[in-house]
Amino acid sequence: MVKKWRQKMKRWITDKLELPADIVMDLPRITMVGQIHIYIENHRGLLTFSDKELRLLLKQGQLLVRGEKFVIKTILPEEILLEGKINQVIYIDE
Amino acid sequence: MKNQWMNILIGSVRVKAQGKGVERLLNACVRNDIVIWNVKKHSDHIVTFFIKLSDVKRLRIVARRSECKLYFVGKTGFPFFCKKALSNTGFLLGICLFFVIVFLLSNMTWGIEIKGAKPETEYRIWKELKRMGIEKGAFQFLVDDPETIQKKLTDRIDAITWVGVEWKGTTLYFRVVEKEQPEEPKKIGAQHLVAKKKAIITDMFVEEGQPLVSVHDHVTKGQLLVSGIIGKEGQTKLVPARGKIFGETWYKSTVVLPLDATFRVLTGKYMEKHYIKIGNISLPVWGWEKPKFTNYEINVQKRPFRFWKWDLPLYYERVIFRETEEVKRSYTWEEAFAKAKELAREELKEKLPDDASIKGEKVLHQTKENGKVVVELHYQVIENIAIPQPIVQGD
Repeated sequence: MVKKWRQKMKRWITDKLELPADIVMDLPRITMVGQIHIYIENHRGLLTFSDKELRLLLKQGQLLVRGEKFVIKTILPEEILLEGKINQVIYIDE
Repeated sequence: MKNQWMNILIGSVRVKAQGKGVERLLNACVRNDIVIWNVKKHSDHIVTFFIKLSDVKRLRIVARRSECKLYFVGKTGFPFFCKKALSNTGFLLGICLFFVIVFLLSNMTWGIEIKGAKPETEYRIWKELKRMGIEKGAFQFLVDDPETIQKKLTDRIDAITWVGVEWKGTTLYFRVVEKEQPEEPKKIGAQHLVAKKKAIITDMFVEEGQPLVSVHDHVTKGQLLVSGIIGKEGQTKLVPARGKIFGETWYKSTVVLPLDATFRVLTGKYMEKHYIKIGNISLPVWGWEKPKFTNYEINVQKRPFRFWKWDLPLYYERVIFRETEEVKRSYTWEEAFAKAKELAREELKEKLPDDASIKGEKVLHQTKENGKVVVELHYQVIENIAIPQPIVQGD
């Protein structure tokens, strides 16, 4: 209950103060270049990785990227750059 | 990505990890600040990725806590390249030899070009150059610098008035001006001839113009000698007056000559030291002993080494020690007076143009004072006293 209330509060603040949502609310920021690159900031770790699927842990839920010929070009504690042919980006709520 | 070149420089290793939970291993790596890139999954339990060479030890520690086995499958980058190069000594030697050869060839003389000389003069120049050790294949830092070559050539070959010496890369260019070249006739405007100093005219030779003075006339400085205005009154014409007016002029000179004098004279003995200079550090190459001479002069020649077409901050330095000797000279009074007169005459001759001659000399007075002689002389000189003075139109 408190968690939900806090979430709402944060959203209200970002709305009113025009603050960037990814910073205030700890959301992932995803940048894609066509189908070939995807750059995800603010992730919380790698769950599974294969050449057809990448599963990342987020602060809330998970992110699933599906495609072909995946290669992780760089991986840093909070950032990941994935190359290949990206077909789907799916959010999974828990 | 941004430091891909850095990775090449510091070296990187390709790692194959096999086992359960390779993703956990990757997460652990990231959390332990081990940079990994180009992660590829080959099958369910096999993953390959790259790490920095310096991170290998830390990766081993991290991997020990996971259930994966590590295999190092590939090495790239400069450190490995060096290691490989060391094992291929022949190859490395080849590279070194290449640089040495290019270095040597850049410091050689590959061409000598002489322009503007007649065949016989050119032949003499070639001979002189050979005597100086300048020929194809000679090292540039061993031959003289252009100024010295220029001086030596003009001194030794009387047929040339001037020679331009210039290095262009590995080619030495000579531009020769010979003496026998015809002078271009100058176009001169209307002019008078006037006296340049006080004189008594002894001889006249007028090519053009109206002479206004005659032999035995006494003229003063600036006096009109030959007029550039000819023809009858009313029908005058302006011409450039030309000619030579010889007059007797007078010079006075005073010479002071000490009886005793000491000179430094080179004895002809010398020794050389050779250095290679890098910045301010001199590395001796040849000649280690100290000069044995008590008195000597030092002459330093510095030439830069070249690579390809650039001058390196590397110099070849040749230090020549020439032995000197102090020579004492002393005259008697009579000798000193004679020498003083001779000196005065030579000095005057040097000052006078070629067509002047000394007609007579007279000693005005000579004195001896504290070891010196002072001689005052008076000279009668026959010289051309005419100098042109342009006629300003509309005067």
